[in-house]
Amino acid sequence: MDTISRRKFLQLTGAATVGAGAAMLSISEIAEAAITRPLPSGTPIVVVVTLYGGNDGLNTVVPYTDSLYYSMRPDISYKPETVLPLSDGLGLNPAMREMKSLWDQKKLAVIRGVGYPYPDHSHFSSMAIWQTGSPISHISSGWLGRWLDTQSADPMLAISLGSVPPPLFAGVKRSGSALPLGGLVVPSGKLGMRCQTLGKSSINDSPLMAAAATSMGNLFGLSDNVTGALKGPAPAAPDLPVINGGNAGGDSSLQQQLDLVAKLIVAGAPTKAWSVSLGGFDTHANEANAQSVLLGNVSYSVARFLNQLKGSGRASDVTVLIYSEFGRRVKANASQGTDHGTSGPVFVIGDRINGGMYGDQPSLSRLIDGDLAVTTDFRDIYSSILERDLKADPAQILNGWKGRVNSLYK
Amino acid sequence: MEPQRLELTRLYARFAFGPRPGEFSQSLKDGFTPSAKKILSQPQGVALDSLATPNFPDLGARPSQANAAASKAFTAALKAQSDELTLWWLDCMALTENPLLERMTWFWHGHWATSIDKVNFALPMFNQNQTLRANALGNFRTMAHAMFNDGALQIWLDGNDNVKGAPNENLSREFMELFTLGVNNYSEEDVKALARAFTGYQVVRSTGVVTFNSKRHDLDPIRLFGSSVPLNGDTATDLVVSRPENVTFISQRLWYRFISSSSQLDTKFGIEAAFANRDIASAVNALVFNGALSVPQHTVVRQPVEWFIAVCRAFSLQPSKLTPKTMVMNYLQKMAQVPFLPPNVGGWPTDEAWLSSASAQFRIAFAAALAKQIDFNPLASVPSEKRIVYIRDLLGVYEFSTRTFTALTNAKDDLQQFFVLAVCSPEFVVSA
Repeated sequence: MDTISRRKFLQLTGAATVGAGAAMLSISEIAEAAITRPLPSGTPIVVVVTLYGGNDGLNTVVPYTDSLYYSMRPDISYKPETVLPLSDGLGLNPAMREMKSLWDQKKLAVIRGVGYPYPDHSHFSSMAIWQTGSPISHISSGWLGRWLDTQSADPMLAISLGSVPPPLFAGVKRSGSALPLGGLVVPSGKLGMRCQTLGKSSINDSPLMAAAATSMGNLFGLSDNVTGALKGPAPAAPDLPVINGGNAGGDSSLQQQLDLVAKLIVAGAPTKAWSVSLGGFDTHANEANAQSVLLGNVSYSVARFLNQLKGSGRASDVTVLIYSEFGRRVKANASQGTDHGTSGPVFVIGDRINGGMYGDQPSLSRLIDGDLAVTTDFRDIYSSILERDLKADPAQILNGWKGRVNSLYK
Repeated sequence: MEPQRLELTRLYARFAFGPRPGEFSQSLKDGFTPSAKKILSQPQGVALDSLATPNFPDLGARPSQANAAASKAFTAALKAQSDELTLWWLDCMALTENPLLERMTWFWHGHWATSIDKVNFALPMFNQNQTLRANALGNFRTMAHAMFNDGALQIWLDGNDNVKGAPNENLSREFMELFTLGVNNYSEEDVKALARAFTGYQVVRSTGVVTFNSKRHDLDPIRLFGSSVPLNGDTATDLVVSRPENVTFISQRLWYRFISSSSQLDTKFGIEAAFANRDIASAVNALVFNGALSVPQHTVVRQPVEWFIAVCRAFSLQPSKLTPKTMVMNYLQKMAQVPFLPPNVGGWPTDEAWLSSASAQFRIAFAAALAKQIDFNPLASVPSEKRIVYIRDLLGVYEFSTRTFTALTNAKDDLQQFFVLAVCSPEFVVSA
């Protein structure tokens, strides 16, 4: 990535859609929309889960029958009897029990060796490529942001959890909205009225000042009309598998984010794309424990999320995409960790997904400079999702890209 | 409008953490060049005399988890030291007589972004902070050497675990990508080679003391940037900093933070030329004196810490004296910027990132909480029809728009609200 686009991306990683034209939503506002104009039932919904830091794919989908795996990673490999066997000599990380259950129900697609051409080992460049969906030419719009550009303007269409929206939702014309987890507390009374005055635009405003004014004004554009739709607890999940330790001590934020998404989907939010994330995958040292706690968190949170949709009539509308910016180096370093690598597995989950293995497993005997080969281009997955869930023309959004993951959807 | 008001407002907001009472009005009389010279000619790298240097006793290794009481006390001690460290630095920024030095230390903290979240101990973070201060306006080559040998940075990027035979590339990659050269100005082979050169350094976690263990170091010749000789951390750092890309990269990073993140570094302002010998003070001089501050488009959003410190300096607040003790940390956390806790090794974002409605909401709440602890007698003694001009010059704002003027006019007899509106106005949140 050249300096300018990198700088643009650094801005995006922080900024993306905030500023003029991007909305910060409140739960009550989404709830109101869920009641007045619910998403028509049967409309597909995409939930993107971004794992920041570079998840180690080889210890996520483990090639436990390959002796090279054990000889190259003597200290941080998983023994055959501990992995959760899938097929083709591959098994899931022992912490991913709920994902194994989804596999058994044929709802989990494991797409192997996913990456982009000419792998870049930088977190920032690599995440920029994944989120823009443009590995060759450097652009600053996100792949779902460009899908938003093709839709009529609606701040509810794409929502990210947390106060900092991700670049993938930044379009050229419009952007996704952000839902801060803590919610918004708007000043009231005289101070509220006067702050509202500060939110007005002024002819002398520079673009940044206009954005500052808009951010203030948006605070007061929200509805006071709180509906009861979201006041109850999250739907019960009686069939949730019980695990020990997988989620203990880990970051529970992913679960919080997905709990909220589940409630809003069940309520009927007119939202077709959601974005949530979990950080901490940059495991240069002492990887095994840290990664399994994180993967346990992902597995538990996603299964819990899907369970919460059951009985809502929307369970079969949802597709979950889980990816990270790169996999890690095959050979471990001396600190029981791994350095930045290239390709990794991507998970796609849903009732309408044909569970199973896709793409070729990168060979451990034919490494490229110590890294795994890329066997599936990430845009194939985006194309399938854009076409099947979002009913969009992938070529228009992904610069003419023609590839698909064949038979991924039922 | 006074001549050079734009340059002066930018000088104070970006290079001095905002004016103290009276300073901006005086500078309007003195003119830009004498005012800028005064700010830039402060002694370099000196410790602060008005604040006691904190003392962080070595807490030693974490006690075994089996000992619940000792473990709990240890965690509490870590937290107490960490809070003390953060408030101490905020105090330095708010009270310093030499704001450029603290501002530059703050810039370099975002550049060599290291988080106490992983380092855990306050002592190595404090030592790193002193290293950044000592070199903040010095020579970048010296700084790069000192930072390579910095315990907190070594812990943060797993240098401690980087040994011959199976190097850990975390430090070597970020060293080139984020600290010295910029992405794509080196090859993947260079990353691997630099990791080998960086092998063998070990850190005591609780103190940050770095030692070199030759048994863990790769003694073979290492091919880095074409030459092939045995290398260690210092000789390799020299090779990296000597690359011409280092000049462009550091100039760009300075430009990005102090001048504009949306317009590109332009050679006509002579930043790269001034930095050719890796002299940071010269580059800062070029940023201030070569005309970049006069270009209207070069606006910048104050980061939350900069916004808070500017308020403290204008209203004579000392962060550690605000009550309750947890208030400052809580609000900075909500505004997503706490010193010593950058979100990742790339540091904090800029500009639009700080302009979400969530930030606006927390900024208003923080300002309202601060208003309760401010002595408004000086403001009250100003006739009410002159208060808008007074607070504009107190804060060093370029000019208030009609909308802000209206809001302030409506509130000019409610001093707390008047204050909240002034410091939350787009004209103060954004450095014009």
